[in-house]
Amino acid sequence: MGEAVQIKLAHLGIASIQVAAESVRDIVEIMLETDPNLGISAITGLDLGENIGVMYHFRLNQKLATLISEVPKSNPRIQSITDVIPGANFHERELFDLFGVTIDGHPSPGRLVLPEDWPVDLFPLRKDAKIDNLPAQGESSTEKIASAPEIEGTLVNLVVGPQHPALLEPEKFSLKVDGEIVRAVEPRIGYVHRGVEKAAETRTYLQDVYLVERICGICNSCHATCFVEAVEKILGTQVPPRGKYLRTIILELNRLHSHLLLLGHAGLEIGYETLFQYMWRDREPIMDMTELITGNRVIASSIAVGGVRRDLKETDISKIKLEMEKLRKRMDFYQNLYDKEPSLKMRTQNVGVLSKEDAFKLCVVGPVARASGVSMDVRKDDPYEAYGEIPFKLITRNEGDTYARLLVRLDEITESINIIDYALEHLPTGPFRIRAPRVVPAGEALNRVEAPRGELLHYIRSNGTAYPERVKVRTPTFANLPSFLKTAIGGTIADVPANFVSLDPCFSCTDR
Amino acid sequence: MSITKAITWARLKSPWVLHFNSGACNGCDIEVVALLTPRYDVERFGIKLEPSPRHADVLLTTGCVTRQCTTRLKRIYDQMPEPKFVVAIGACACSGGVFKGNYTVEGGVDKVVPVNAYIPGCPPKPEAIIDGVVKLLNSLKEAKPNDKK
Repeated sequence: MGEAVQIKLAHLGIASIQVAAESVRDIVEIMLETDPNLGISAITGLDLGENIGVMYHFRLNQKLATLISEVPKSNPRIQSITDVIPGANFHERELFDLFGVTIDGHPSPGRLVLPEDWPVDLFPLRKDAKIDNLPAQGESSTEKIASAPEIEGTLVNLVVGPQHPALLEPEKFSLKVDGEIVRAVEPRIGYVHRGVEKAAETRTYLQDVYLVERICGICNSCHATCFVEAVEKILGTQVPPRGKYLRTIILELNRLHSHLLLLGHAGLEIGYETLFQYMWRDREPIMDMTELITGNRVIASSIAVGGVRRDLKETDISKIKLEMEKLRKRMDFYQNLYDKEPSLKMRTQNVGVLSKEDAFKLCVVGPVARASGVSMDVRKDDPYEAYGEIPFKLITRNEGDTYARLLVRLDEITESINIIDYALEHLPTGPFRIRAPRVVPAGEALNRVEAPRGELLHYIRSNGTAYPERVKVRTPTFANLPSFLKTAIGGTIADVPANFVSLDPCFSCTDR
Repeated sequence: MSITKAITWARLKSPWVLHFNSGACNGCDIEVVALLTPRYDVERFGIKLEPSPRHADVLLTTGCVTRQCTTRLKRIYDQMPEPKFVVAIGACACSGGVFKGNYTVEGGVDKVVPVNAYIPGCPPKPEAIIDGVVKLLNSLKEAKPNDKK
C-alpha cells in the first residue's frame, strides 16, 4: 500500500480513497474496524479505456465514502468483499454482468440482470460493446419450464413467476420447500432490465431527466430529483428556495402515494381486500394533488435542472391543505385498525423477522432498515432540498417483522402530511427555477435522496459535452432484496407473500 | 337467440382480462390496478381481472417487452382460448416508448403478439384505459378474433 493510497476529501461523499485493486479488501477491513456497521451503498463500474474503474460507495457512519480502484481490461479480476460485507453480493454480481469484472471468491457467481442466453463475452456497459448483432433467442433461453414441481431429495422446488397473480411484475422465485417450510429461495431477476444506464449515455442531460423518471413509475420524482441534484452539483447551480420547497412537496406527495399503494397492496396479499380498496380510495386524492401541482397523475415530469417546471398557484394551497386534513383523519382510522385488528396482526406479527445485526450486515435501507431499529434516513443524514429546515420525526421500530415494516410506513404517512403542511405554510416567494446551461462541465458527482423505499443513489460522470459519460443508479429495492432471501427461510409458504410485500418490492427499480 | 349471439352478449357484458407486465416501469400497472379500485371500479362493467391466461378473454399488456419476457408473453398469448384480444397499454407497449432501441428491449407488444387496441400515454389516465377497453368491446359486436398464428 503506502504511496499507492490517494485520499481526496469532499469528493464522492465525505472522501474518496484511491487504492490498488489488491488492497481493496484490506482497506474495507480497516474501515470495518472504524465503523462495525459499515454498509455498502453501491459498486459502480466505469469504462476508462485501458482499464475498468471500480468504485465502492460505502455508508461510513451514515455518510457516503468512496473507495476507487482500477483493474486492467485485459484481465479484469477483483477480490470479492461479500464475505466481510454480505450486502455486497448482488452489487458484485451486477458488476460482472455489466462490465465483465470477474469477482474472485464470490459465493454465488452468475448472471443477475442479463438474460441467461446473453453472449458470454458481451458486457453492455463497456464503451466498446457491440450490441447490434444479438443472436436470435434460443428455445431454451431463460425459461426452463417445469410441468410439475421438481423434487430434490426431500425438498420440492416451487416456482413462482414470472407471470403470477400475486406478482404485479415479471420476476421468478424458486422456493425450495420442505412440506410447508421454505428452506431456500433462489431469485431470477432481470425481466424488467431495460438497459437504462447505457441508454442514459446516448441521451442529453435534458432527455435523461425524463428517462430516469421512467426507471420507476412509482418513485419517479425521486429518480428525477436525485439525477438533477447530481447534475446541479457538477454545474454548481443553486436552486432558488421556492424551487426547493416545491420539490419537497412533490417528493412527499410521491412518498404518500407510494406508501398508500404499498399498504393497500399488503392488505391484498394477506387476504384483507377491504383494506386494499380503502387504501387505494384514499390514495386517489393524492394523485389528484400531484396532478394539480405537476400536471400529471403518475409520472410527474416536474423536476428540472435548476428548479421545478411550473409554479404552484396561491389558490391551490388551500385545496392541498384540505386534502391533507382529510387524509390525516383517515390515518387515525388506519392506526386504530392496525392496533386492534387481530387478523391483520396474526398475518404479519413475527413474520419475516430481520434482526438489527442482519439489517446492518445485509446493508438494507429505508423503511426496512428503520423497522429493524436502524435509524437511517437520507433526509436526516444528508439533508437535501428543504428537509434541513423542516422539522419531522424519524420513525423507527425494533420488532423487525412484517408488522413493523408496515407500521413504519403508516407513521411516515403522518410525518409526510406534516412536512407538506409545513412546507406550504413556509413557502418562500421568489423564482421557482433558474436557467441552467445544457452542457455540463467535466466532473463527477454522487448524490442520494430518500425515496419511499429507502436510499436512492445516482452517480454521474460528465466529460464536458451535453451527454453524460456514465450514469449509475442504485435503487433501494436492489439493496433490500437480500433481506427477503434471508427472512423467508424457515417461514411457511403462506407467509411468503406478506413478508415479500412488506419490502415494497419494485422490480422496475431493481432491474433498471 | 342463437348460440353465437348469446356468446357474444356474454363476452361483451363480462370480459375477463389478464394483466401482464412485460417490462414496464409500473406507471401503467398502477393505473391498471387503480381501475379496479373504488374511484374507477371497472367491475361495474363486468370487467374482471383474471389471474389465469386460460380463463381470460383480453390480455392487457404494459411495458416495452424485454428480451427476457418475450417467450413468456408468447406463451401466455398461446394459452388464452379463442377468441382472444390484446390491448397494448402505454407508450412502451405501443412502440417501446422511451426505452426504444435499448439493448434488451424488443420495443412494442406487436413485435411479439398481434395487438387489437393501442392506448398511448405515459401512462394513459385510467379514463383513457376504460375508453380503450370499451372501444374494443364495441368492436367485438362483430367479433373479429385474432387469426391463430
